[in-house]
Amino acid sequence: MIIQPLKILAAILITGIILLSGCTAPQEDEDEPTGLTELSFGYQPSTHQIAYMAADANGWWLEDLAPYGITSTKDYLFATGAPEMQAMIAGEIDVAYVGSTPPLSAIDQGLEAKIVAGAQTQGSDLVLANDLPYESPQDLVGLTIATFPPGTLQDTVLRKWLLDNDIDPKENVTIKGMGGAEAITSLASGNVDAVFLPHPNPTVIESEGYARVVVQSGEMWPDHACCVVLVTQELIDEHPDIVEQIIRTHIKATQYIIDNPDEAAQIFSDDIGVPHNISSQSIQDWDGEWVSDPNIELDTALEYAKVQYDLGYTDKLLTQDDLFDLSFYNKVIAEMGEE
Amino acid sequence: MGQSPYIRRRILEITSVASAIIIWEIIARIINKKYILPSFTEVVTAFLKLVSGGELYRDIITSLNYFAIGMGVAIAVGIPLGIMMGWFKTFDKAVDPIIEVIRPIPPLAWIPFAILWFGLTQYAAGFVIFLGAVFPILVNTYTGFRNTPRVLVESGKVLGCIKNRDLIFRIALPAALPSIATGVRVGMGVGWMCVVAAEFFGVSTYGIGYKIWRWNDLHHMDMVLTYMLVLGLIALVIDRLFRYIVQEWWLKWQTGVVV
Repeated sequence: MIIQPLKILAAILITGIILLSGCTAPQEDEDEPTGLTELSFGYQPSTHQIAYMAADANGWWLEDLAPYGITSTKDYLFATGAPEMQAMIAGEIDVAYVGSTPPLSAIDQGLEAKIVAGAQTQGSDLVLANDLPYESPQDLVGLTIATFPPGTLQDTVLRKWLLDNDIDPKENVTIKGMGGAEAITSLASGNVDAVFLPHPNPTVIESEGYARVVVQSGEMWPDHACCVVLVTQELIDEHPDIVEQIIRTHIKATQYIIDNPDEAAQIFSDDIGVPHNISSQSIQDWDGEWVSDPNIELDTALEYAKVQYDLGYTDKLLTQDDLFDLSFYNKVIAEMGEE
Repeated sequence: MGQSPYIRRRILEITSVASAIIIWEIIARIINKKYILPSFTEVVTAFLKLVSGGELYRDIITSLNYFAIGMGVAIAVGIPLGIMMGWFKTFDKAVDPIIEVIRPIPPLAWIPFAILWFGLTQYAAGFVIFLGAVFPILVNTYTGFRNTPRVLVESGKVLGCIKNRDLIFRIALPAALPSIATGVRVGMGVGWMCVVAAEFFGVSTYGIGYKIWRWNDLHHMDMVLTYMLVLGLIALVIDRLFRYIVQEWWLKWQTGVVV
């Protein structure tokens, strides 16, 4: 009889609906701001994001946010921006120090978050094996270059630079997308000819002696945007005062690391476990610049958005309103000017 | 009028799958966030887009190529090694500690060595799949040989099978075939799961596993889920095909022995 399976189907559907009704019951006071006591941060093991580490090491996050009811902070370290964005989508982090491209596809797909401050510009290097000559970008024709996967800032900057130099990134070179550790292993074992990675990776590779930096990302795309501070829309809507304080503390931490590069290197070494001489050398060698003003990163971030849309990585062309909320930074700077 | 058991079973299977799809669609529509749970219809749309672009075929061929390399070597290594360990006690005692140290190491942990030893090639991907598949094959072959009924071995000896080679190939191997078949089947399942890890580190810009990572990096979860389902469906086809081959050819002699 066909009745039996239909009964089973009906039973499954009814059970599903009952279970769902529990999950979707309206919560009381849904629009009321919640009393936030803990703030979660995401960051990556890069010298690009030392401002977060410095504020954390000096106890500034807790100290500065305590008047707003924050009693504890948590942080999560991510190898790349993509899982960091997924953690934000899942509601695990409120604030992300992240490259400016991972948020593009995440926001395009529905993440409700905005860039509220800059963190750093430039700061990635093309590192070529010692036995290969380099005088101009044309020397890269026929070579294999490892970098972060498609959609990342490094992949975007590298491809644009190659195209600017009449090198087709699909035809004239082989670009392999992978994680930083795999890229370094591949270069060390001769399986790729070059890598394009953020600091401190280029310094780590140079210290091993088998490759050298031939082009810095600032030469590829002057003043290109790199890392930013991204906060959830929920935090912006429900706790704008906390967002303002996050920016104040970020500005303070950024100024601190600019003024004290050696302390910055030590903080990075303590946090990530990279030897102090490597992190110190990385900060000396790189062409990166720590910043806090999101306006500096605005133009190139919008160019990245255009590139990603053209490549089909995003469904819509993201605008400044989709990506940035400059009001907090501008307000904080105005207040600081008055003081 | 009563239906045949076959038709009843098929109706039940279709009902079960249809129910799962309906519940999935309802949940996805209630959540209404594609990046958390794409709906069934969104996944079908993504699937059609991939099929019409021709991209999916190339991804499937690439992954099957890595899988064939890994499985081929896993069978070539796992079965002979399992036979040797199962038949020769001294060999077993010598090799077993090494196997037991290596066996629990996840294939993912071997990725740096896969790159160093095989480069960014199909063999590196095959190596990761091999590591996932070889141990179930080895262990089941070993178990099959260890459990060869003593009466069969003694009978073989009485009938003139004296040499180890004859006892292995004429007595123990046929007796161990069901266990070896189970090992290969489990090994194929684990090996296929390793495809995602094997394509994680830049061996190719095609492949089902690679595309799962790529679309994941871009947060297109409808594409991620599509490739995940393709991965699952191909595993189902491979398993059904293998079961058919085993039942119809490899172990056809068993028909009537057990049931």
